[in-house]
Amino acid sequence: MSGAAALVVLLDRAATGDAAAFKNLYDATSAKLFGVILRILNERGEAEDVLQEVYTTVWRKAAEFDSGRASPITWMVTIARNRSIDRLRARGSRPTSPLEAAIDVRDTALPADELIDASDDARRLHAALGTLDARHAAAIRSTYFEGLTYEALAVREGIPVGTLKSWVRRGLLRMQGAMA
Amino acid sequence: MTGSDLDGDDGLAIDVALGALSRDALRAAEARMARDPAFRSNVEEWQRVLAPLDEATPPASPSPQVWSRIMAVIEPAPHVAAKPSVWSSLGLWRGLAGASTALAAVAAVLLVARPGVPPATELLVATLASEGGASLITATYDASRGAIILTPAGKTDDAGRTPELWVIEGDNPPRSLGTIDLASPESRVIPAERLKGLKAGATLAISLEPKGGSKTGAPTGPVVATGKLTGI
Repeated sequence: MSGAAALVVLLDRAATGDAAAFKNLYDATSAKLFGVILRILNERGEAEDVLQEVYTTVWRKAAEFDSGRASPITWMVTIARNRSIDRLRARGSRPTSPLEAAIDVRDTALPADELIDASDDARRLHAALGTLDARHAAAIRSTYFEGLTYEALAVREGIPVGTLKSWVRRGLLRMQGAMA
Repeated sequence: MTGSDLDGDDGLAIDVALGALSRDALRAAEARMARDPAFRSNVEEWQRVLAPLDEATPPASPSPQVWSRIMAVIEPAPHVAAKPSVWSSLGLWRGLAGASTALAAVAAVLLVARPGVPPATELLVATLASEGGASLITATYDASRGAIILTPAGKTDDAGRTPELWVIEGDNPPRSLGTIDLASPESRVIPAERLKGLKAGATLAISLEPKGGSKTGAPTGPVVATGKLTGI
């Protein structure tokens, strides 16, 4: 059974109130989700609060999971991202420190040695991102990884917001075309 | 892709999947997803496209307390155990009900066993309550992890003594699972072999012992709470 199929089984069982299955699901996925949350919030205590919210949401909504629409991990990571971003927005104007992968850094692509372990999907995605203008690709990564609004990122990078938005949206569309 | 409406729905779907919207705009877009399946599919498609980006994010281990907090939230409210006849009959423990100043136990105590316990899926829960029916603590035994999670549910007064956790299985005398500290929650190791074989129907109890725990191997102080393990 593949990892994804095993997670589908655990989610199905959690949906029936099987707490032991839910614990297995937590053990299998919490480090991944916590990494994503920590990346966005950059603060351990807050990230643990969000992780708790995410799993209570997963427990409550397990019956709504539809394996025909998303993989279990994508579904769970999406919940984690949305919760983290919501928490980030609730912080208000607290300054965020730029990541290394800021837009003026020329090469923000995944290092080749990490790509060796990447899935086919990730390889294709990074290859497609690599066909874009480096600043556009970096803008896409910054938006996704840091959970910043276009406005916040535009201010930080000193770019008009319309320009940034256009880089990101058009860049993603081109990227999707390159993957097709 | 041609014919995309980047200034309209297609652009919005990208923004939602990226997480680039303000709080209000995101809430509005989520409401839209709930009633507009085509828009929802559009967003989900972008989420699927972008998801592999997360592979580059290093995993991180949350502290064990996160799981016990989750457990405390999702656990169906366990019913207070019936009057603990086993303990009443022991006769050792009478006159204990009086103790009641505040020992506030806010967070959960996690007692983790050593690894190497054979996998099983059964979860057992006991609500440990005083003779008067006041819940003190909820104990959840997860055989697959070989761990007991204790979630304080009320207050008690340890009168300067050491709370010790016991199990009574059938007609056997109480067996110590170890001392616990409700005042400063911390991880403690209960040897897996002590937890092994815990079954539904066994009674858990907490007694107040001299500092460091009972020296005799049997409970010597007042029992402040008892409860039966039941499967969930």
